[in-house]
Amino acid sequence: MRVLVGEDETLIRLDLRGVLEAAGFDVCAEASDGEEAVELARTEQPDIAVLDVKMPKLDGIETARRILDERPIPIVIVSAYTEASLVARAAEAGVFGYLAKPFREEDLLPAIATARARFGELTAVREQVDTLADALAARKAIERAKGILMAKQSLTEEAAFARLRKASQSSGRPMRMIAEAIIETFSS
Amino acid sequence: MNVLIAEDETIIRLDLRGLLERHGMTVCAEARDGAEAVEVARTTTPDVAVLDLRMPKLDGIEAARRIYAERPIPIVMLTAFSDRGNVEKAVAAGVFTYLVKPFRESDIVPAIRAATARHAELLAARRTLGAEPPRSLELELPSQNGHTWPLRLRRHEDGSLEIRTADR
Repeated sequence: MRVLVGEDETLIRLDLRGVLEAAGFDVCAEASDGEEAVELARTEQPDIAVLDVKMPKLDGIETARRILDERPIPIVIVSAYTEASLVARAAEAGVFGYLAKPFREEDLLPAIATARARFGELTAVREQVDTLADALAARKAIERAKGILMAKQSLTEEAAFARLRKASQSSGRPMRMIAEAIIETFSS
Repeated sequence: MNVLIAEDETIIRLDLRGLLERHGMTVCAEARDGAEAVEVARTTTPDVAVLDLRMPKLDGIEAARRIYAERPIPIVMLTAFSDRGNVEKAVAAGVFTYLVKPFRESDIVPAIRAATARHAELLAARRTLGAEPPRSLELELPSQNGHTWPLRLRRHEDGSLEIRTADR
């Protein structure tokens, strides 16, 4: 489990690293400001990020938002500031946990465990939604292509469908791709 | 936001109620044991539940599992024990956040806010899929000329969804 730590105060960063490593995590990247954290999230591809809020250049919440935009991972915020407006911004940005400083090891480790589990659950459901959306888009494209074949080549629906399937099988490409090629050809 | 509090120690329960109310939340129900928590979760339909882990009759983890199974809401677990075993059980029961006692106001309120936001996303995504997708389903979708377009959906053990066009 690879963790990115974003924290500008060296002592706290070392402390976080120590706690995480003692718990068996691999601290793969340390950032001392928000921009560096975004950059390291991109190059190191951590599985999880622990971010401070008050950091130079980019605050932890904006950092979280940018990291999540590029590649969603579970993020836990650790901050000395817990005003409602800050927490609301963090929640809206997509963080899974928010702990007050000085953080306690006995809170941080469960926060990471719950963040990972619930993030995994959310990701799995979203992937299913994407699969379903893909399947529906594919169905729509195939329907349209079938209609085009029926009209242009005076085929029955069965024959049009059989032709699409045959093209898919012989080319080794998904039917959706064949269908999109047909739509492209006839609509241009 | 309506919150259910389940905590067998009266002083801690009062403390929790006070701090949540100071942050603009409504404590819609208080329970002194796990069985009561499951019951009031059913009758008062809270938006979020804060449960103690060690409670009489039914522990917080089992209460969380039952509450979540009946109606999914974000659950925050409070406990004096942060050993890996309990954390894992809580995670498996669907708990969103796990905080160690003595809890701090500065931890619990942000925890509730973050859990509520993420849980709403999870529910929205689940709703898109349909609350409880059947294991296997054959659809006959209408198309042109009164014909139908057969689709076969299968939900695997791991939760993934397989969608194929059924052969004619």
